[in-house]
Amino acid sequence: MTAQLNVESKHNLSGGQPLTQKRESLFADAFRRLLRNRAAVVGGSIIVILILLAVLAPVIAPAPYDLQVLDDQNTIPKWLTSVFPTMAPYARFSDSYPLGADYVGRDLLSRIIYGARISLTVAFIGPIISLIIGVTYGSISGFFGGRVDNVMMRFVDVLYAFPGLLFIILLMAFFRSTFSKPDPGSFSYAISQMDARMGGMLFIFIGIGLTAWETMARLTRGQVLSVREKEYIEAARTIGATNGRIMFNHILPNIVGPLVVAETLAIPGYISTEAFLSFIGIGVNPPTPSWGAMISDGAQVVRTYPNQTIFPALALAITMFAFNFLGDGLRDALDPRLRGTQ
Amino acid sequence: MQSKKLFVFAALLIVASMLLAACQPAAAPAEQVAEKKVLKLNMGPGDIPTLDPALATDTSSNQIIELITVGLTRQNEVTTDVEPGMATGWTMSDDGLTYTFTLREDVPWVKYDAVSGEVQQVLDCEGNVRMVTAQDFVYGMLRTLAPATASDYAYVLAFALKGGADYNGGTLVDVATGEVIADPETFEGESAPIGPEVVAVQAIDNKTVEMTFNEAAVFNLNIAGMWVAHAMPSFQIDGDDCTEGKGDRWTETGFNVSYGPYALKEWVHDSYITLVKNPFWPGQDSVPVAKIDELTWLMLDDAPAFAEYEAGNIDVARVPQADMDRVKADPTLSAELLIAPDLCTYYYGFNTTAPYVDDVRVRRALSFAVDRQSLIDNVLKGGQEPAGWFSRPGLAGAPTRENYPDLGAKFDAEYAKAQLQEYLDEKGLTVADLDISLMFNTSSGHQKIAEAIQAMWKENLGVDVKLVNQEWKVYLSTIKGAETPQVWRLGWCQDYPDANNFIREVFAVGGSANTAEGGVPTGGVTWKNDTFEQGVLDAAREQDPEKRTQMYADLEKLIVVDDAIMIPIYWYTRVSTTKPYVERTFSVLGGLEHMEKWDIKK
Amino acid sequence: MGRYIVRRLLYLVVVLFVVSAITFGLMHAVPGGPFDREKALPPEIMANLEKRYHLDDPLVVQYANYLYDVFVPQFSTTATTISIEDDALLKFNVGGVYVRWMNFGPSFSSRSRTVNDIFRDQLPISIQLGILALLVALIIGMPMGILGALKQNTIFDYLGMSVAIFGVSVPVIVLGPILIWIFGVVLKVLPPTGWGAKPPYILGFIPSDLSWDGFWRFSIMPAIALGLGSSAIIARLTRASLLQVIREDYIRTARAKGLRENLVITRHALKNSLIPVVTILGPMFAALVTGTFVTELTFGIPGMGRYFVTSITNRDYPVIMGTILLYAFFLVIANLVVDIVYAYLDPRIRYD
Repeated sequence: MTAQLNVESKHNLSGGQPLTQKRESLFADAFRRLLRNRAAVVGGSIIVILILLAVLAPVIAPAPYDLQVLDDQNTIPKWLTSVFPTMAPYARFSDSYPLGADYVGRDLLSRIIYGARISLTVAFIGPIISLIIGVTYGSISGFFGGRVDNVMMRFVDVLYAFPGLLFIILLMAFFRSTFSKPDPGSFSYAISQMDARMGGMLFIFIGIGLTAWETMARLTRGQVLSVREKEYIEAARTIGATNGRIMFNHILPNIVGPLVVAETLAIPGYISTEAFLSFIGIGVNPPTPSWGAMISDGAQVVRTYPNQTIFPALALAITMFAFNFLGDGLRDALDPRLRGTQ
Repeated sequence: MQSKKLFVFAALLIVASMLLAACQPAAAPAEQVAEKKVLKLNMGPGDIPTLDPALATDTSSNQIIELITVGLTRQNEVTTDVEPGMATGWTMSDDGLTYTFTLREDVPWVKYDAVSGEVQQVLDCEGNVRMVTAQDFVYGMLRTLAPATASDYAYVLAFALKGGADYNGGTLVDVATGEVIADPETFEGESAPIGPEVVAVQAIDNKTVEMTFNEAAVFNLNIAGMWVAHAMPSFQIDGDDCTEGKGDRWTETGFNVSYGPYALKEWVHDSYITLVKNPFWPGQDSVPVAKIDELTWLMLDDAPAFAEYEAGNIDVARVPQADMDRVKADPTLSAELLIAPDLCTYYYGFNTTAPYVDDVRVRRALSFAVDRQSLIDNVLKGGQEPAGWFSRPGLAGAPTRENYPDLGAKFDAEYAKAQLQEYLDEKGLTVADLDISLMFNTSSGHQKIAEAIQAMWKENLGVDVKLVNQEWKVYLSTIKGAETPQVWRLGWCQDYPDANNFIREVFAVGGSANTAEGGVPTGGVTWKNDTFEQGVLDAAREQDPEKRTQMYADLEKLIVVDDAIMIPIYWYTRVSTTKPYVERTFSVLGGLEHMEKWDIKK
Repeated sequence: MGRYIVRRLLYLVVVLFVVSAITFGLMHAVPGGPFDREKALPPEIMANLEKRYHLDDPLVVQYANYLYDVFVPQFSTTATTISIEDDALLKFNVGGVYVRWMNFGPSFSSRSRTVNDIFRDQLPISIQLGILALLVALIIGMPMGILGALKQNTIFDYLGMSVAIFGVSVPVIVLGPILIWIFGVVLKVLPPTGWGAKPPYILGFIPSDLSWDGFWRFSIMPAIALGLGSSAIIARLTRASLLQVIREDYIRTARAKGLRENLVITRHALKNSLIPVVTILGPMFAALVTGTFVTELTFGIPGMGRYFVTSITNRDYPVIMGTILLYAFFLVIANLVVDIVYAYLDPRIRYD
């Protein structure tokens, strides 16, 4: 076939107009493909439901999360003994608590619903801080390479060499003592008010955010280092693309896959950091519930009253499933190689 | 590809070595000549800080020290009576200040020899057996007080012994004249040149120790028997002509020398400690010869320790609060369970100068709105006793419920509400105006209690109290300084079983919960009441037990009801399970047991 | 490459220096000191204690002394005594000259031990546990991830994902006691707590007794409890990365050339998909070795994890400094190894 013939056939097929593929932005294309991924849709819906639960908690929850009925402590609904028969000898029953009551008689289900607030906040704020700081930092470092890369990575090394836990503990000790008795109207007062409203989590968020971005930076840098040597980058350069354009249009879309997945994987890490902090006692101020705190509280009675840890852990697992499915879907959707397919 | 292969290879290697190891013939069983009686217990998580009597501060150190050394006097762990220790008898001077102790002369210093596997007597430079002498006790006390040793608990001897405080503080004062001796250099760091002119303790001869106290107090004998006043081996610590001084290492395995019913066999830090019976301890009624040959303590947290107990690997274990329901419902475990009193009090203190709680009615309201029994039944579950006052019953001089049924604080919601209402009416405030914080050090246990009490205050008084927690060290400095919060929690356990150790050492001006500078309270309860100050001094000196108890009852009423500077919450108990083949005693001294009285009957 | 490594090692020194300075400052800035007790100490005794540990010296002097003790080796012709002041992490004899190097100082909480003792006795255990946990994570995680990628969106994929999620959302605090209960108390096939290895160690961290009775039966449960969470991370990361690599052009080329599928995977795809995984391995190992607090507490393992946390709450300054420096050291070395492996895995990565 000659070229001419091709041109002719093109012309013939479309009645004179050149046939071109419709230009779609990356994100529109990605969103379309995401919607086709059933698992991702399920995951996304679960997250939306969770957000709704968190926002509408006062309406949905059967009881206030801080209502203690000491006489009802550790009671369970009758159906629980068929799931955990070992509880039969000593369990006390009550019908007012769908999933049982905790050690001071607070309704587990309500606390799980309210707990979604804290856990979702950690799950969103943590990755956001980590991604924004980490990806920016890591891409700059990996893209420019050489001495810039060296210096930037050494700086990350130093920060990284700080065990996040120690940093958080010291930070908490420092903040909680400095801001414990502030004058109303001062900056520290505003901070401590914000902290109180978040159930004491503000400094934990700051601490977690400050300690999490380094992994993302390293990961990004590794990916960028790998991708920047590829042929299409060279090609883009030869046609005169600027550094910024190369970064945003060529490098980032190709590396965003593992980064997004890595970050959604880190979400359980944030929640378990929060759980661990609760375990050693620097977590949320009681009685604010968080799944992490409930899991570690329940862990102490896991042999006696397994429901107190299993149900928050289930909630956590479901949330994790959802984030994972969504993360997978996002990765597939954002992969430029699949663009225009499906 | 290579990396994956490497991993697979490594994994195969591990599996292969495991299989190989498993196929090895089992180690030959240890030879057993006679059935050795071995008891396994648990100490608690973390290593024992020290075995040096001069430096010990916590219960795990004291437990071991109490078994491998014996004080001049010994406290009976069940009755809290003072019994003879190394001193077979003592006399007191007419003014009640000077005590003269006569020692037994047949107790040698011993050491465990790993090579022979036996406890052996320690020999001196001439090849004679080193016996424990009065000089060893004097050395021990002076070592505790020496500034270079930097001992925490030196304060007890410093407070009690004449000249002790000055020496410990770094000045040398002649006890007879009160003049400052102006040549500290000779005394820096060495205890030998210090003599009875400076600190009023001396060895009259090999078997006589004379101590002069600052006050003619009933508890002087207790102090004389405290671990900080046990005999210590100067030949092993500082060395002598034929022995190298081990310095701070003298407590380690292989270096440790002792003289009590047990000797140190092995101390593997963070893992376990093993004591072995000392056959050279002659034995007496108050400290008999040990029947159990070997004692081993693991160093586990309560939950894994209890798992070991249930698996049959240890013989005594504390029951974690989380397992209490299950244990009480289990036929075997509930039979092995025992709840015994413990000489400690859990309380909330008030900063009597802070907003809202500076009024005694608010304090009374908060105190009487706490349903202590409900807290114990539902949250603590350890069979604790609701505390009506501070000095726990069982201490010498402390009032008991039998004798003083109406004393102190109790749950009375009506009275509490009335008190609060009176305050609100007078100030023209409502409940919502009250801004009160309760602070505690971060721990899930304290948090549970605080949450429950927070709910009680809400329910009974309508008051919303905020809960704040701080990390331990930060917390300590907060509650002892000017920033003391309105309500804060603490516990207090006995150093010696006397009410003086409780109410006076904690709440008098300058006390542990009432820090002061120059006689003016600056932190803690920040409270001064002259009747109280005089009262505790008089009570310490009162010799008649009934009168003394009455005096303490009045003082307790003062701090709990009249001035309500604190909320007594509960009196501790120890909850533990013991295997049925262990014959044992149950100590009330914060878990300090005398295992030489125990036996195993399998 | 050689010059690169040397340069990185020099940076290690700088990193350690900066980390130590920041930690030292932070440590002293936080309120509360090592000798604050519930029963307040009289000021004279406090003064005694501070004098003994040189805490009354100016901070700069304390810091300088600390750096000197840690980094400057001491030489002497007399044998090292057992005293606390004389102790060091590395003590050896070179032709009659006694060398002492890296003295991390005494421990405030334990009078008869130095931080060096703690490192010698406790650190190898954490290293052993960390290595085993990492192996568990790799042995479980990588095959799951590879399987999930190769059989994407099939039942194998979902199963693998479920196990991974389970591993992450059930923390050691919960999994540990359950394992102990099942295998230690009910079935009694494994010891509920403890760690068989005892000092002395071969090469500093390998236990001398590697039999079933002496070592392996103690380490199975803790290694699994600790490694399961990390295996999930490795599984997911492997899967995601492999999925991405499979879509590369050179894979398509290899297939087009007629190469067998399993060779395509093992010879081409896997090696390149390992970069994200390897990135994670370095810090993961460092974190495992130093983040064993809960595992050690649950299983009664005498490792370093407890010291990390309790030293902070106790304000045991030398232990804090020592553990932080240790952690920093591990991390930097781990990252260096990771970077070297990067270059091996992807020849296109160059270090200028």
